Amino acid sequence: MSRKNALWKRRQFLQGTGLALSLPWLETYAKTHRVESQTPRRFVSIYHPDGVGLPLKTDPAWKDWSWFPRGGERDFELTKVLDVLEPLRNDITIYSGLSHPAARTVHGHSNADQYLTGATIGGHGPYKNTVSVDQVYAMHIGEATRHASLVLSTNGGIGGPRGAQTQSFNSEGRPIPAMNKPKDVFDMLFVTSNKDAAARLARSKSALDLLIANTKALNRELSSHDQQTLQQYLDAVRDTEVKLTKAQKWIDTPFPTVDTKYLTLDAEPKEARLYFQTMYELIYLAFLSDSTRVATFQLGRENGEGPHDLLSLAVGLGPAHGLTHAVKQPDGWKNLGTYNRYQVEEFSRFLHRLKETSEPSGDGNMLDNTFAMHGSASSSFHLSRNYPILSAGGKNFGFSNGRYLKFGKGNEDNQAGAGIDTDSGWQGKVEVEELPLSQMFVTVLQRLGVETDSFGGVQGTLTGL
Amino acid sequence: MRTLSNPTMHSANLLLGGLLLGGLCLVVLPLGSVVGSEPETPSVREITKPESLQSARQSGRNNSRMLRQRDSAGGTAAAEASGIPEANLDDFQRFVSPILNQSCLPCHGPLRSEGQLRIDALSPDLIQGADSEKWREVYNAVGNSEMPPEDEPACQLSDEDRVRIIDWISQELSKAPIAVRDKTQSSSFRRMTKYEYRNALEDLLSVSLSTTNRLPQEVASEDGFKNSSALLQMSAMQFETHRDIGLDALHRAIVLGDRPEPVRYRISMLDQIGKPPSKKKKPKDSEFFDKDDSDYDKKRRGRVLLNLETGQGIAFQEGSASPIAEPSEEKPTEEELGAVSPVVLVLPASNEVKWNLDRFLPDEGTMRVRIRVGRSNSNPQQHAALRLIFSAHTSNDANFSQVISQHDIPVIASADKPECICFDIQLQDIQRNPFRKLATTFPRRDEFLSIRNVSNAKGQDDPLCVWINDIEITAPYYESWPPKSHTDIFLPSNSYADEAVYGREVLSKFLRRAWRRSVSPAELEPFMELFSKYRPEFSSFEAAMTEVLAAGLASPEFLYITQRDASTGDPAGQQTISLIELASRLSFFLWSSIPDEELLDLAEQGSLANPSVLKEQVIRMLADPRSSRLAETFVPQWLGTDGLDSVTHITDGSLKESMREEPIAFFREVLSSNSSCLDFIHSPYVVINETLANHYRIAGVSGPEFRKVALEESAHRGGILTNAAVLAMNSDGKDSHPLKRGVWMLKRILQDPPPPPPPNVPEVDLTDPEILKMSLKDRIADHRNKPACVSCHAKIDPWGIAFENFDAMGKFRTEIQGQPIDAKSLLLNKQELDGIEGLKRFLLVHRQDQLCRSMVDKLCGYALGRPMTSADRAQVDRITLEFRKQDDRLGDLIQLIVSSNLFKSR
Repeated sequence: MSRKNALWKRRQFLQGTGLALSLPWLETYAKTHRVESQTPRRFVSIYHPDGVGLPLKTDPAWKDWSWFPRGGERDFELTKVLDVLEPLRNDITIYSGLSHPAARTVHGHSNADQYLTGATIGGHGPYKNTVSVDQVYAMHIGEATRHASLVLSTNGGIGGPRGAQTQSFNSEGRPIPAMNKPKDVFDMLFVTSNKDAAARLARSKSALDLLIANTKALNRELSSHDQQTLQQYLDAVRDTEVKLTKAQKWIDTPFPTVDTKYLTLDAEPKEARLYFQTMYELIYLAFLSDSTRVATFQLGRENGEGPHDLLSLAVGLGPAHGLTHAVKQPDGWKNLGTYNRYQVEEFSRFLHRLKETSEPSGDGNMLDNTFAMHGSASSSFHLSRNYPILSAGGKNFGFSNGRYLKFGKGNEDNQAGAGIDTDSGWQGKVEVEELPLSQMFVTVLQRLGVETDSFGGVQGTLTGL
Repeated sequence: MRTLSNPTMHSANLLLGGLLLGGLCLVVLPLGSVVGSEPETPSVREITKPESLQSARQSGRNNSRMLRQRDSAGGTAAAEASGIPEANLDDFQRFVSPILNQSCLPCHGPLRSEGQLRIDALSPDLIQGADSEKWREVYNAVGNSEMPPEDEPACQLSDEDRVRIIDWISQELSKAPIAVRDKTQSSSFRRMTKYEYRNALEDLLSVSLSTTNRLPQEVASEDGFKNSSALLQMSAMQFETHRDIGLDALHRAIVLGDRPEPVRYRISMLDQIGKPPSKKKKPKDSEFFDKDDSDYDKKRRGRVLLNLETGQGIAFQEGSASPIAEPSEEKPTEEELGAVSPVVLVLPASNEVKWNLDRFLPDEGTMRVRIRVGRSNSNPQQHAALRLIFSAHTSNDANFSQVISQHDIPVIASADKPECICFDIQLQDIQRNPFRKLATTFPRRDEFLSIRNVSNAKGQDDPLCVWINDIEITAPYYESWPPKSHTDIFLPSNSYADEAVYGREVLSKFLRRAWRRSVSPAELEPFMELFSKYRPEFSSFEAAMTEVLAAGLASPEFLYITQRDASTGDPAGQQTISLIELASRLSFFLWSSIPDEELLDLAEQGSLANPSVLKEQVIRMLADPRSSRLAETFVPQWLGTDGLDSVTHITDGSLKESMREEPIAFFREVLSSNSSCLDFIHSPYVVINETLANHYRIAGVSGPEFRKVALEESAHRGGILTNAAVLAMNSDGKDSHPLKRGVWMLKRILQDPPPPPPPNVPEVDLTDPEILKMSLKDRIADHRNKPACVSCHAKIDPWGIAFENFDAMGKFRTEIQGQPIDAKSLLLNKQELDGIEGLKRFLLVHRQDQLCRSMVDKLCGYALGRPMTSADRAQVDRITLEFRKQDDRLGDLIQLIVSSNLFKSR
């Protein structure tokens, strides 16, 4: 039995006895041998703050500037917001009716933190987050790649509680600092070897050697029954050793060589187009070189302000956050839609790049082996429901695209909460039924190869995906 | 037929009951359970007039079979029915087999074996045989009336026969786990639990840690204990987390380099009164009030700055402070704060005052907040305590706030002689504003400290306020330099200059305490080798040694409570642990932590073998503040009060905390006064604080601290069965839950858990119009009359129904929706339990031996870190007998356990 199976079995056994789990559940996600040999499966999530335009049907702007498509699962019609995706129509899926239940009546500005975690973070008071879906997959990959994940945002760092500037949270729910300077990202991926890390590894290895000797000495003095108990400790130390050895292997492996001439590594967010394209290109290069299989990228931060709110300058518009407040102004919906369109345009450029590149291991193109999602934790004005989400790729591990999937009940035309521009909107009663976004995450994790039937406290997969 | 003649259960949620039982379905029956069917009722005494609970206790004592038989039976009277349970093949042959042959064999026999089941081929021995899982399937199918199929008229079962099959399988299934448990070798060799690990590090290193929360929760055994050896796992992730935490703890204890310059804020209210409030203009004269104002008395009791000399005051919202620039003093003293200021900040009950500290607090280290404060009056009915809250508001909707003080600190001093209250907060452990180091001003970088007055004061007539004179904040704060935590590891020594010699001194001393035994020079060598490897990478001896010590803390010698197999030496060593191991067992029992120097010394000198020395040590250790952990860890595990975490209907946080604390405080009271354990069943007193007194409608209790309060006859309280925690966690969130309460009684108090229910308990179909038409009482009767349900429910329900006078919050009631409560129920032996008092009386009169044995069994299981098995039965009985002879006193029981052979066994 493989080690992973043993862990899984042990966990099942404990469940079977009606006890709470004794193993940290996340550990059952950790690493497999298979991961290393198969065609890479990748996960990338792009987050944009401030939601999208959601005008009322009666509004003249509805036809062109409502984010959600019109029509059915296959015969959907993209509005001007998403029409840049038309050439990729058969590679994308658009979703409606998904959101995280705990956040549905929390102000949209507080919710970027929980988009990939589904945690109940609330709107004020003590703050606690949980692991994000990308990190669950990163743990599964383990040391099969040089970097477990690539965590990016335009603002960098972690942001503040309920004002995250990173999409990734570790197994203890702590934010993972995001990188925001293309040069730093590039150096980490292709240039700099971390000397401190190497020294730390070497120290750890010596300490583990000592502990193994120490444990063996103790073992000789124990009864045979107690030796079995101690064996578990010894296994834990040896597993840690294996992990260190793999990490060491990466330190000793030369970096892949990458042509840098075409990259503008000093691009800054105020040069939005150049900056976006450089950051997306870095994700692409990281995937191409199999330096990592997991990436998150947050554009701006909720409740904008500051220089990173100026990404909308790229399309000649004022600060992005202000656009969501000005939808009832002349051309308001159009302006917000134009900005959203621009975000998707950059995303689609990245998708094309993946699609046009054959998978290095020879199995289709890179997009077919990548699940790429793009979305926000609010739809209409501060409203934390009906997240506007689209995904692309993943064909080689079970995703069938070219669809517009409507989940939930009672909001098939996306009119619940449409047209609002006051705070009574997001505070309003939840009157339509939506499905937990975490169910989609369970499906995604399973297809990526993670054995789990729940995420963020939510059981089950998303039927129909 | 075993039904309840008086089913008054009104719980709406039988469905939940099913789920609950589903969750318990693999509960292992402990040994004591054999006494489950009313053994102590030689002749049911006609109780015409209920006797008082006090005299019930005496008559119960007279009833004790254990005490009566002690002389003739040589102290093992209760040991009847000991040993591994045996299969009841007799009943099978006589009753069950003929029914099965009649109704099942045609389809599940030699002719046809539907579903690959041959009923005649199943081994009727569910304990030794291989077919217990098959029997469980039979149990489910027959119990749920799925079998025999309706369309086989020849095979139909009468209800009586069905019950007979179900009862027999259920009883046999319940024996199997005991047999398995007894066959499984168990040992006290185990990893420290998460809480023991934290205590051990804190005691070893004199640091304060909350980082151990990173470790996963421990699993509780069937008895509820988290220190049960077989369940304490170790995985790679846990191992790595232990390593991280250990190294981090050492970094907190050890200081490198020079004493860091502290950031210090000093906020004097005298300075504040003339100062403009945060970022605003200086106050205008018109904003002040004084003695001449008509509503002066009201105003001066608001949240104001008040000049006590002039009587002048001004409303106060929020202050700001900047660090003071002055040379740091070694140890700021009270006098330095200067004379008591004539200006105070008046903080009324439940008010908060917030200080903007800007962005200058360091990243880590202790932040000491010293508040000089007094009470505005000395009314003993009113109390006030201070609490600290830390917050930041980085941008619109991005904010947090968090209580950072572990405990509220009461304000005792009078306003004319204010005293200092000190909070020590670990800055690296609290949520900080991540933007505090930004060069730009957005998002906001500042951090706020709020002081809250937690108080019961109310009313118009001079309600208690606290008067704050000044506040001083110092970070990082060190009592001395280098701190004691550092010098405890790096002792002053003449050989300091010689790293090879000094390194061995440091290691030898450190590892002895961490590993709870002396470490031989040979054992030190690998650590010194590691040190030599590390040394060139670090700038100081201490920095390199810190990493080496961390390896010592990641070793199984620290993480595990070891017991070496001494079989090679003294033949008696096979049976008993060494004295040094005894010292650890004792300290983990009483302190949930490692032994101190004194205990280690006594063990190494051999004096711990002397019973009177051991006894003295128990007395000393129980007097030590660390012994508070015994009640804090044992009681919640024993009673399962962690269940409070999963109920949502108690919305008042301080009430919930008080509920959680009550049984702990009660246990402490019983222990410190060496009272009888029967007080847990009923006592003429409660141990409560003001919050619970209000909840229980008991007058005259003021203040948050727990104290013993005598009860009036009609109080319906006393003991732990009526603790709000017990009642509230065993409810469904809206109302009482008799089933949960019954199961709790059987599991936690009587140690006689109910038999395993079928995994697919039939649910009450609330969408069925026929069912909806029924009254609740009928629904329950309907449910119970299903053969699959009756045998369990008849055992559980009566215990729960007796609690019906208590609602979901644990409040006493006499009616539900206008209908009087009927809390009468009949036990299987037709003994009536009339409400909570009837239940207590029954337990005291008829079940004393069982209650006491349960207490001994639970405490022994906790003390040894493993469940008691049949092999321990004689020892447990012996202790129980002594315990009973000494009037069931809890303090004596601790001594009896520690001095027993059981406690010294491996």
